[in-house]
Amino acid sequence: MLQIIPIDRPLAYPPRVTAFTRRFWEGLALGAFRSTRCDACGHLTFPPKPICPNCWHEKVLWEDVDADGTLYSWTRIHAGPAVFEAELPYAVGVVDLRAGIRVACRLWPDACQDWICAMPVRMVALTTPNGVLFGATPI
Amino acid sequence: MVRRAVIIGTSAIPVGKYQTRPEEQDQVVEHELLARLVVDAMADAHADKRDVASIIVAQPRPYTRQQYFSTFMASYLKLPCTGIVMEVLGNGLTAALALDKAIDEVLLGRANVALAMGINMETAVSARDHMMESMRKTGDVDFHTSAGFTPISWYAIDMMRYMHEHGVSRADIASVAVKNRAHAVLNPLAQFRKPITLEEVLAQRPIVEPLGLFEVPPRSDGAACVVVASEEYARSVGVPYILIRSRAFYHEGAHQIADTPTDMIALDAARRASRQAYDEAGIVPADIDLAELYAPCTIVEVMASEAAGLVPRGHGAHAAKAGETSLGGRIPIATSGGLTSRGHPSYATPLYNVIELADQLRGRAGKRQVEGAEIALLMNELGNYNAAMVHILERQG
Repeated sequence: MLQIIPIDRPLAYPPRVTAFTRRFWEGLALGAFRSTRCDACGHLTFPPKPICPNCWHEKVLWEDVDADGTLYSWTRIHAGPAVFEAELPYAVGVVDLRAGIRVACRLWPDACQDWICAMPVRMVALTTPNGVLFGATPI
Repeated sequence: MVRRAVIIGTSAIPVGKYQTRPEEQDQVVEHELLARLVVDAMADAHADKRDVASIIVAQPRPYTRQQYFSTFMASYLKLPCTGIVMEVLGNGLTAALALDKAIDEVLLGRANVALAMGINMETAVSARDHMMESMRKTGDVDFHTSAGFTPISWYAIDMMRYMHEHGVSRADIASVAVKNRAHAVLNPLAQFRKPITLEEVLAQRPIVEPLGLFEVPPRSDGAACVVVASEEYARSVGVPYILIRSRAFYHEGAHQIADTPTDMIALDAARRASRQAYDEAGIVPADIDLAELYAPCTIVEVMASEAAGLVPRGHGAHAAKAGETSLGGRIPIATSGGLTSRGHPSYATPLYNVIELADQLRGRAGKRQVEGAEIALLMNELGNYNAAMVHILERQG
């Protein structure tokens, strides 16, 4: 299970939830990091998709993904869009999970100054008053 | 004889700030600026208005009030067309697509003269508001943008990784900004023409770490027109011309990042497209005399110059620092001043890149002339170099 970190501030730009992706977002709020694996070729993808991007097979299976990985790279954003202004500066990064998928997300905690490429990180669920976001935190 | 496409005329306004705020008394409108450039470019080409058969327009920014801009321009210029009148859009590639489709028109035999043009007006819109729109153009709008990614944040992520893998410092990479500013000093079309030092670059406020203000593109307005023609037409007019010797395109099938781990800093699309263009032209990277690359940030020029084979992998920053990519160096890159100093009116930028190379190959680049320039590389991109479009240009006559 993912660590669930409650945050007071509402999401500045909440993701849209579809009938298909609801399973991801609702799982995330409960501490599961889920995505879809192709029932034909076995390819695990992220974000979850109703068809396999590799072989275009239309049957995919949901699974809980190992939430540990490494930080491929990162940046801290000091100039951002109007809706994110109150959060500046904030760090984002690209994370390669052990399960073989690549994720781009907020890095947590905000105050952390010690992000380094290739450091071990783990996915977390950042829950807010208007939705949930996935992030990565140092292990 | 195989039909070949050539460039015979160009025109542009200096990159800068032109867009007016709604409250200003005298408004600047896009079509007035662009119409004059079309006339200038056609005069430069010594081409006849009646021979224009196709108009390809880079789609303007959403702030441009006049919509269906290409067909409006056909009317404003009274230009009936038998080829095509259309607008193109493709993020950073937008104006490169205008050139590429104009070349198509000529090669398909639909036009003896085709116009590629674009105008990008955005400087009266604040960066914070502009980013509300631009943030939706990179990454997945639900799964990435919700975390606050901005377009140039992806390049900053590339840079952190590049520094990690190659043991190169921010200062080494920042030498690209200093080098390009020195070029811009000599370019009348450039937005920033005052020399800068490495210390000044490194002292700027951070924008997306490790990149500071002078290592990322400025906000810019700009407009440009390029006249593309058949080689036969150019010969009949008797003007010197630039041959499109080859071209290539590659999209890696990813938008910012792939769903599985890949090498983000190899710029595979740039590598593949440039190799294909070299092969089709029958040349090797060492044959290139100069290059204009779509490189919004210092790090992007470093990675792209490596991917195009102009400098060895991991040595792009060192090459810039050592002067190899400066005017007078082994392989001058961004003699225009590049996107950080010439300026970056995004939807027109690739046309400015074309114009720099055309000026160089026609021997009219003034104090920034690359002596004996014969073959040039033009490379444009979209996303995080997820797609690259390459044109090899060659001086004729």
